[in-house]
Parts: sequence; C-alpha cells; structure tokens
Amino acid sequence: MKKIGKFLSSMPFAIILLVLLAAACALSSTVSQGQTYEYYAAQYGERMAGLILALRLDDAFHSWWFIGLSTVLCINLFCCNLIRLPALMKRAEAFAKPDGMTTGITAEAAGDGDPHRLFAALHMPKAKEDGDGRIFAAGNKAGFWGAWICHLGILLLILGFALGQMTMKQYTVYALPGQTKEMGDSGLSVTVEDLRISRDENGAILQYTAMLTVSDSVKNTVESGRAAVNAPANLYGYKFFQNSIGWGADVRVLKNGEELQKEQLCVGEFFAVADKPELVICFPAFYPDYSAEIKTNDPAAEVKDPAYIYQVYYQGQILGMNALKAGEELTIDEYTVLFERPRNYTLLAVKRDSFTWLVLLGGLITLAGLVLAFWLQPSAVCAVREGSGWHVYGRCRKGGVLFRDEFLKAAAEAGFTPCENRTTAGGDT
Amino acid sequence: MIQTENTLFTIAVIGYFILTALNFAFVILKKEPLAKAAFRLQAGIFILHTAALVLRGIGTGHWPMTNQYEFSTSFAWALCLVSLIFIRKYRFPVLGAFSSPLILLMIGYAAMQNREVRELMPSLRSSWLAFHVSTAIIAYGAFGVTCVISLIFLFRGRMKEEGFWGQHIPDTEKLDMISYRSACLGMLFLTLTILTGAIWAEQAWGSYWSWDPKETWSLVTWIIYAVYLHLRIRRGWKGKGAAWFAVIGFVCVIFTYIGVNTFLPGVHSYA
Ligand code: HEM
Repeated sequence: MKKIGKFLSSMPFAIILLVLLAAACALSSTVSQGQTYEYYAAQYGERMAGLILALRLDDAFHSWWFIGLSTVLCINLFCCNLIRLPALMKRAEAFAKPDGMTTGITAEAAGDGDPHRLFAALHMPKAKEDGDGRIFAAGNKAGFWGAWICHLGILLLILGFALGQMTMKQYTVYALPGQTKEMGDSGLSVTVEDLRISRDENGAILQYTAMLTVSDSVKNTVESGRAAVNAPANLYGYKFFQNSIGWGADVRVLKNGEELQKEQLCVGEFFAVADKPELVICFPAFYPDYSAEIKTNDPAAEVKDPAYIYQVYYQGQILGMNALKAGEELTIDEYTVLFERPRNYTLLAVKRDSFTWLVLLGGLITLAGLVLAFWLQPSAVCAVREGSGWHVYGRCRKGGVLFRDEFLKAAAEAGFTPCENRTTAGGDT
Repeated sequence: MIQTENTLFTIAVIGYFILTALNFAFVILKKEPLAKAAFRLQAGIFILHTAALVLRGIGTGHWPMTNQYEFSTSFAWALCLVSLIFIRKYRFPVLGAFSSPLILLMIGYAAMQNREVRELMPSLRSSWLAFHVSTAIIAYGAFGVTCVISLIFLFRGRMKEEGFWGQHIPDTEKLDMISYRSACLGMLFLTLTILTGAIWAEQAWGSYWSWDPKETWSLVTWIIYAVYLHLRIRRGWKGKGAAWFAVIGFVCVIFTYIGVNTFLPGVHSYA
C-alpha cells in the first residue's frame, strides 16, 4: 500500500502522466471539436463517428478522461511537492554550510594559492572564515527552490483555470447601433449606442469601437463604456469584448399601405408579422455589392449595390426565398415588406471570470520558478588549511561539468593545482 | 525601405548558403581556420539579417513578425543568434556545422513565402502580440539549437574519443549539459510565449485559453520539454533517452509552427 502511494506521488509516474497528457492533447487536436454525429460520419465514416462520440473526442478537453488525467497529475504534483518539502529545506540549509560539504564534491584543487582570489573569480565576494579556519561561501541558494516554486505555480494555474471554468459566466450579445438586447439570465440589458470603424488613408481597418450602455433594471442603474478590439470595457463586473461585426438592416412591414411594424434585424434573425404570427420573415444573408463579379458578404466592405436575401415561412413551411435590391419590396397578400438602411451590427463577447487573476498569478510563479531553476545553479566553495597552503573544494548541485571547468580555471588562476576528488571539506573524515 | 530589405534578405540567403558550404568544408577538410572563418561569416550575416528585419519593421510600420514570411525569417534569425551564442560561449565550432543547414532550411522556407506587405487586422495591433511572437522566435531558436546539440550527442556516442571529432566535440556529459542549457532557455521563453499569448487572447477575444490547435500544440511542446527536463534527472534515462525527447520536442515545434496551419483549422490561421 505504502509502495503504491509512493509510486503515485513519484516522478516516474509524473513522466507517464505528462506523456499521456501530451498524447491526449495531440490526438484531440486532430478531431474537429464540438461537431455533430453527422459531421463526423461524413468526415471519418460511421464507425469512427460512433467511436469519437463514445470516447467524447468531440469535446475532448471537457471529457471525463481528460479532466481525470489532469486531476491525477495535479494530485501527483501536489503530493510530490508536499512530500519533498522537508527534505528540500534540510538540503538547502545544509548546502549553505561548510559542514554540508561532505558529499558530492564536484572539483577540488590544492596548493599555495590565494583562496580569496578564487572566491572573487567565482563571483562569491561574501566568503566568510569560520571558527575552524575554513573559508566558505555558497551562492545561488535560491536555485534550490526553482522546481518547487515552478510546480506550485502550475498547481495554482490549473486550480485557477478549473475554478474559472466552473464559475465563469459567458454571454454573446449582438446588436445594431441604437438597439437594446437582454444579456441572457444576467438581469442586465445592453444598448449599443454607436459602432465606430476607423480606417487609415488606404481604407484598411484600424479599429472597431462600440459605445455601450448597460443597465440593471432591478437596481435601476446604468454604466457606460467603450469596447474596442484589444481594449475591452469593464461594466458591472463583466468584461465586454468587441469580437466581430456583421450586417443588419431595418425591416418595415406595411399592411394595405399603412405601417404595421418596424424591426431592426441582424443577418440570421427572423420575426413574425405582428398581426399574423404564423407568417415569419427571415434575413439569412446580405450582400453589400450584388453587382460585383465576386459577391462577398464581408461586413467591412462598402455598400454599393445592396441585396437583402429573405425567406418567408407560413406555418413552418417555406413559401419563398429571393434577393431584394435597394428600393424593391416583397408583397405577400395585403402585406408589403421593405428592407432598408443596411449597417453593421457588433458582436460582443461578454465574460465574468473571477479567477483569471489566479491563473495569471500561477503563470507568473511558474515563470519565476523556471528562472530560479535554470538561472541559479546553487554552488558552494570551501577552502581548508592544508600544511602551509590550502585545499579548495567546489560543489555544484547541477551542471557539474561546466562548474568543474569554471572552478578549475579559477583555481589555476588563483595559484592552485587541480587534484583528484579525494577528501571532503566538512568534517574530520 | 522594403526594396532595401529585399536586397539584404537575398544577400542573407546567399550568405547562409555560403556559410553552410564553408562549414561542410571545415568538417570534410578538418581545417581549423575554416571554422574561424565560418564563425566570422555567421556573425556578419547575422548583422545584415538584423538590418533586414529592422528595415522590414520600419517599412511596414509594424513589428516584423506577423505573417508567415516575417515569422520564418525571424525564426532563422533567432536560430542564427542562439547558435552564435552557444558556439562562442562553449567554444564549439562543430555546432555551427550542424546548425547552419537548419538555418538555411528555415531561411529557404522564408524565401518561398509571400513577401507582400499587408495591413494588419485590428486584433493584431497589440503590444502583447509583439511580445508573444518575439518570445516565440527565441524559444524556437533555442529549441532548434537544443535539437542540433542532442543530435550531435546521439552521433557522438558512435565516435571514437581520438581524432577530429574527439577533439572538436565536447564529451557526452558536457554535450548533455550544453543542450540542457539551451533547452532551459527555450523552456523559459516558451513559457513566456504561452503566457503573453494568453494575455493577448484574453484582450482580443475574451478567452485566454480556448484549446485552439495552435495553443494545444504549444502546450504539447511545453509538456514534451518538461518531460525532457525530468528525464534528465532520472538516472536510467539521462543521456540518450532525454536527447531523443529533445529531438521529438523540436519536431513538435516545427509541427506547431507549420503543420498546425497546414493540417488543422484554428484562429491562428493568419500566422
Ligand atoms: C507540467 C508539469 C511540470 C513542469 C513544467 C515541471 C517543471 C520542472 C522543472 C523546470 C524542474 C527543474 C528541472 C531542472 O532543474 O532541470 C522540475 C524538477 C522536478 N520535478 Fe517537475 N514539473 C512538472 C511536473 C512534475 C510532476 C507532476 C512531478 C511529480 C512528481 C514533478 C517532480 C519533479 C521533481 C522531483 C523534480 C526535481 C526537483 C529538484 O531537482 O529539486 N514535476 N520540474
């Protein structure tokens, strides 16, 4: 039992988990996410489609096995960090004392050289003499903590990500300038006061800016702000991101020549005629320049020869579908339908994630841990009297070969001769 | 400005070609002065290449790493920079012989790309993006050098201690340490790349992580190098096993950079 526990919190197990996780990510990235059975069947055949759905590869990153694997990795990492903490503290402490230099000597030299020159050459100006006539210095001690801090950062990051996923509120709101839309179940409504598109002298788009007013009908309060690309608005604790734009227009319905109804419609929306709800008008597409050779529905294109594509449904059955040019009208019995004033709507992504800060903090701690682990190689140097001269020892926790070269070079310059590792600097042995 | 950049770029391509030839000559003829000349030539081309990138930045009015051409020429530039540093720091001229073909491949890939200057869409006008791609090219450059050193490591195992290779290639212990150093540099910068990319995505789209294939593959790459770092600490796997992982890691880097855009769909399709 104890053995199993030890393995589950061990590094070999961590390596297996990391390889599995990388393989899972790689595999999942090859399958288009969030599609239907029909899509996969058309793409890969029916048997594969069944397998994809059974294994939840259609939403792999939220599947039980992916979350399970990540959880096991976190538990493994947490236990490993916790179990190693006391030993790490002990080792770091011992490393910073001359008595700790009883094992793992990386290089040594002896002779009549000047130990202070050696310490200076190794950038260890704080070398101190102790009561026993030894001179000792330890550098880059913080390097001991690098991996530990890095692991802690990863745990915080994953924790922040998971909490965010569980508690995050997300909405999508799209509206034409002047329109007000409810924001899902948030109790807030969003009015797009204006949508500005700035261009440079060549017509290339520099920025989209939506001027927003958000109101809380219960508290009777409003907050206003602007959401631009790369500069979201922060209103009622939600972030409003200017995500994209699309086409919309006004649609008027006349009955026997009298205006019955006026709607502001974005492409993709529909409405029922006010006094005949079984009659439904859809607005599936808009072309800003229908006479162009290549017809595009690019939302940033200039409106030259607009064409509104419409569909009419009666009691759920399609009655007709066609394009209306500017000024053209659609007549259905006593009703006349007119499409006018084509303009852009804005699509806003709205989000409240109270744990983004934790993810960022985790990321920064991970980074700090990596800097410590990679940059600061803990090393210690001790000089002990030997006859009329000194015996100098160097010890480096990692990267021994490079440190040995550096140490022996500095030792030679300080007047020492390299010798085979034979003794320890710490005690009487 | 762009005209001059084009000329400098062409000179750099020819320069990298000559560099590769010179390095081959060094390895075949085994003459020390050729290695010295190759190092000086590489430093010279590096300066020209830097000038080309600066002119591209001024000419286009944006950070010169925002489309496939700009990113691949920057990638070659970073490979050149990191290998220069490692050749000099560890007195390791044979590294140049192995890294110059890789730089040549990358700059050749850049030369095949469309060099037209295009306006940036608003979401790409961000300083976080500039950080994101700059850290990415340094990470990629460092991983390229790690891969090359790991290949030399695997090749070194079959070489005799005496003779030209024995003299010019550090022993396996040292090679392992040098490749570890460049992997550390890469890992640090890849972490920065992922962090700055997440900050940018959060600002631009309101989602710092959306499992887009490019994001997913950068995570795969990051995990592979984490495995490499842990394997190096394990006794049984130290050396060859870790070296193979460093090579696999670079295959992931290349796949993340080129393969994802070609084979998998996602929001990074402009880069
Ligand atoms: C994605 C996950 C991980 C990352 C990025 C990571 C990163 C690192 C880094 C950078 C080091 C330092 C390596 C060096 O100095 O050369 C390290 C060491 C280490 N890691 Fe991890 N690690 C991860 C997961 C784990 C897990 C799950 C365990 C669980 C057992 C673990 C156990 C260790 C151990 C025991 C060391 C040696 C520590 C030392 O030398 O003081 N790591 N890790």
